[in-house]
Amino acid sequence: MASSNAPGRFLPGDPRTTEPYRLTPQLALRVAILAFLALGVFALLFLRLWALEVLAGDRYLAQANDNRVRTIRVEAPRGPVLDRNGLLLVTNVPGTRVELWPADLPKSWPAQRKELRALAEVTGVTVKEMLTQLSRHGQDPLTPIIVQNGLHQDQIFYLNEHGSDFPGVRLQDSYLRRYPYQSLAAQVLGYVGQISAGEYKALRHKGYVPTDSIGQAGIESTYDTYLRGKDGKAQLTVDSRGRPKGPTTSQTQFSPGDALRLTIDIKLQRAAEQALREGVRLARLSGIQGQHADGGAIVALSPKDGAVLAMASYPTYQPSIYVGRKDAKKLAPVLDPKVATAANFPGINRAIDAAYPPGSTFKPVTALAAMQENLMRPYEVLPCTPTYTAYKQKFSNWTPLINTGMDLQRALAQSCDTYFYELGRRFYVLPADRGHPLQGWANRFGLGETTQIDASPEVAGLMPTPEWRRKAYPASQGYGIIDRIWKPGYSIQLAIGQGQMLVTPLQMTRLYALIANGGKLVTPHLADDVELTSSVGKPARILRRFGAQPAQPTGVDPTALRYVQQGLEEATHASFGTSSGVFGKFPIDIAGKTGSAEKNVTLPGYPHPLNLTQSWWCGYGPFDAPTIVVCAVIENGGHGGSAAAPAALKVFEQYFATSGNTTSHASD
Amino acid sequence: MSIEAVDARGRGLRAHRQAEAVGLGGVLRRLDWLLLLALAGVVGYGLWAIDGITRHDPGGSAVTRQGLYVFVGALLFAAALLVDPDRYFQLRRPIYFGTLGLMLFVLVAGAATRGSRRWIDVGFFTFQPSEFGKVLFVLALAGFIAERSRSIASSRAPLAALGYGLLPIVLVFLQPDIGTALVYSAALAAVLFVAGVRWLHLGVLAAVAVIGALAVLWLLPAAGVNVLRPYQAARLTGFTHPDNDPRGATYNLRQSITAVGAGGLRGRGVLGATQTRLNYLPEHATDFAFASLAEERGFFGASILLLLYLLVVWRALKIVAGAGDLYCAVVAGGIAFMFLFQVFVNSAMTMGVAPITGIPLPFVSVGGSSMITNFLAIGILQSIHLRRGQRRRG
Repeated sequence: MASSNAPGRFLPGDPRTTEPYRLTPQLALRVAILAFLALGVFALLFLRLWALEVLAGDRYLAQANDNRVRTIRVEAPRGPVLDRNGLLLVTNVPGTRVELWPADLPKSWPAQRKELRALAEVTGVTVKEMLTQLSRHGQDPLTPIIVQNGLHQDQIFYLNEHGSDFPGVRLQDSYLRRYPYQSLAAQVLGYVGQISAGEYKALRHKGYVPTDSIGQAGIESTYDTYLRGKDGKAQLTVDSRGRPKGPTTSQTQFSPGDALRLTIDIKLQRAAEQALREGVRLARLSGIQGQHADGGAIVALSPKDGAVLAMASYPTYQPSIYVGRKDAKKLAPVLDPKVATAANFPGINRAIDAAYPPGSTFKPVTALAAMQENLMRPYEVLPCTPTYTAYKQKFSNWTPLINTGMDLQRALAQSCDTYFYELGRRFYVLPADRGHPLQGWANRFGLGETTQIDASPEVAGLMPTPEWRRKAYPASQGYGIIDRIWKPGYSIQLAIGQGQMLVTPLQMTRLYALIANGGKLVTPHLADDVELTSSVGKPARILRRFGAQPAQPTGVDPTALRYVQQGLEEATHASFGTSSGVFGKFPIDIAGKTGSAEKNVTLPGYPHPLNLTQSWWCGYGPFDAPTIVVCAVIENGGHGGSAAAPAALKVFEQYFATSGNTTSHASD
Repeated sequence: MSIEAVDARGRGLRAHRQAEAVGLGGVLRRLDWLLLLALAGVVGYGLWAIDGITRHDPGGSAVTRQGLYVFVGALLFAAALLVDPDRYFQLRRPIYFGTLGLMLFVLVAGAATRGSRRWIDVGFFTFQPSEFGKVLFVLALAGFIAERSRSIASSRAPLAALGYGLLPIVLVFLQPDIGTALVYSAALAAVLFVAGVRWLHLGVLAAVAVIGALAVLWLLPAAGVNVLRPYQAARLTGFTHPDNDPRGATYNLRQSITAVGAGGLRGRGVLGATQTRLNYLPEHATDFAFASLAEERGFFGASILLLLYLLVVWRALKIVAGAGDLYCAVVAGGIAFMFLFQVFVNSAMTMGVAPITGIPLPFVSVGGSSMITNFLAIGILQSIHLRRGQRRRG
């Protein structure tokens, strides 16, 4: 060993004399250690493999199946909306929409941004909008967001062709709302839009999903549950980039939404909308009084059961602007406050969502209340003079060219203000324990509260009382005692439908329905029934009839009512009647009342509010057996007789031109 | 028997290079047939597996390409049989510096793919020097340590070998290819271990390695020094909590575990293996080939492969024990352990018990460099085995 241990020291080791290599015990030990290590390693691998594949295999198998099978919703077509005669007001056309599945988007931000930019280029939806939507759905990576509905054919071709450039983007069949009559009854119908975050939160438990469309206003909103139908489910095998592989297999069939039949008559509705435009035109022609006329509403109601036959609001818009590709410019009049103001809010349904002072159309209420409370007898003659003075205040009549005594009928027919001022004073001087019977009766007749019509939004209007005044002008906000007390002038003004009282056109229509039907308060309604969609055009298979709720008796004295009815008939036929010029020669006996209500209005472009006259006319016919009540308002339209009455006449003309309507209405 | 021979034997000596030229018959007789069988089994099984794994990929089955690599690899295997391992010892310096040069070249000029520079594009073939480097690295390093075998007990020899070893490891790490750098490190450890470095020194080295790993992964990032890029660190440590970030760093891991688990006892077959077929399992032809195999062929199919691997490792260790000299033993030890390490890290990674690194599964993952290198490695083992009875330097 000595010589071989250090071969380099004096002589190079002779290769033939170096000690032969042999397996040392040390190396043998180390090889053995390696062998044990190898055994241990393989044992670990086998154990792990066994644990995963055999012990937990089922769980992972389920996971793998979850991975590839995606359950998608098959949108149910929304139910159509029909008019009372079964004509299609709203229907559907098939369309295609682009969905974005967040889970399948590229994982890296630059790639994702690139894809979104490309998608923005194709759809015209900005990247920012998509990101906002994405972040809104951030918690749920497996629900898609809808980028755009109603794609063009060339957009569809492009996206289909470049599918591999758009992971996570899917084209989905959908349905788009179609409006064959364009803007007809736009505010009544409402529109359909994607469910908002707030709505989704509130409706999630009812099975709504974030991609759902939902009725956003009008009857689309009220009857959404019937119209929406039930989405189907289908399964789709996709690869890891979310691209479909193989066919879609249907799991549950969708059931289409039910058809909704309205009480509206398309012909009458169209006549009412034309009449509104005509009324506005007439008002503008009538001179200084109506020069600012720019809006209005007409409601036609069946006095028997409260079925709405027509409900028009002006200005109006095309509901189709909400469908498919959103055009900000087209949507501005209904969404952008500034543009909406300039366009005078075409999105508002003025029949139920706007309130005006009723003016003289309120006088029947004063008359009825006064008779009920024994403050006046119908044959009692009160002076009709140019002015009326009480409590050192002078109240003027609408015309100074009169000085005579009048009974109730004539006072109604000629709309004598001083007659009703006196009634207002009588209400004011009632002892406190009698309460406020004028407002009380007005309330009973449905004023100052919503009508519960099946459309939204609806306002309640305002029926001022001393209690209301104290509450509305609280001392805590610095209102003095003089602001808070109920002054005699308020009662006197209220008697002719002025002051702070506000009513909606529908409330007034309902009031005149009550006068027409002998004192019963009807509940206005738009929906007649829900039918099986497949039966549209055939004998209807009715699933649910909403029907009219029974009219509520109000306890009004029929004799008192008779006087008022006759007063209204004289108003349209007597030589001195306020709208005899309009209705006097109409073959059907129409009874009704004009109203010219003053209101402070702020018009765009004017620094101060102007005191403008709201043109009203409310009435019904035929006088003996009324089948229709009509109320018309022309905003800032001047005298009732010059704008609203001619507009209302147009509706009667259309209504009675249809055969059969003269005797009794062919309603169910 | 000549008198010289008798004399030599009497003095305990044997003639040098008695069987300098091993004839064909000798080669066949002296081959480790079990190892050859295991090799053929692994290669054949791997080809069959990869055919199923890649059948639904956009480019179609990779089995033809892989077969070509097998052919080239087999040629190299045969060539390796003809080379006396002693030649590698003599050429250790050119081998070492040649490998180093190639790696530097890759760093400087290599085509950048996937954010890392590992390949050299030679037209028909992208060539991955760090893959070939594995075997060359073992050959050279074993040489450096074998020439210092007499001072192996001192601390100088291990330190020198360590120095030689760390340089290529750092270069591979910089590519950056952490997986291959780990393989190199494993080879280095095995070489030191088999060469007979003292337990104390091995213990110190192991402690340093552990502290170093802790520092790189936790301590230095906490102090604001990032040796690894964040995604690298996430991949290395992600396997300890695979559900933390299912859409991020551990997405691959989750899909891989799902794939393995879904395979069950008998596997889902080529058509039923949705994780592979629908591409939920990324890199299933390369890094995650084991998961894909497990999904398609189940516990039985994956076990067959593991058993074949075990057979290879067993024969390799036998060759270590029977090697003709220390150099051969160290080379065989390095190769055997490296092989074991790759099999373990790759398959364990797909099952969530080892860090995710880009280490290919030997003889299965699609890739020419890896396939050819592995053939070469087994060829060298066989060559060592062929010359097991020959007298070598001690």
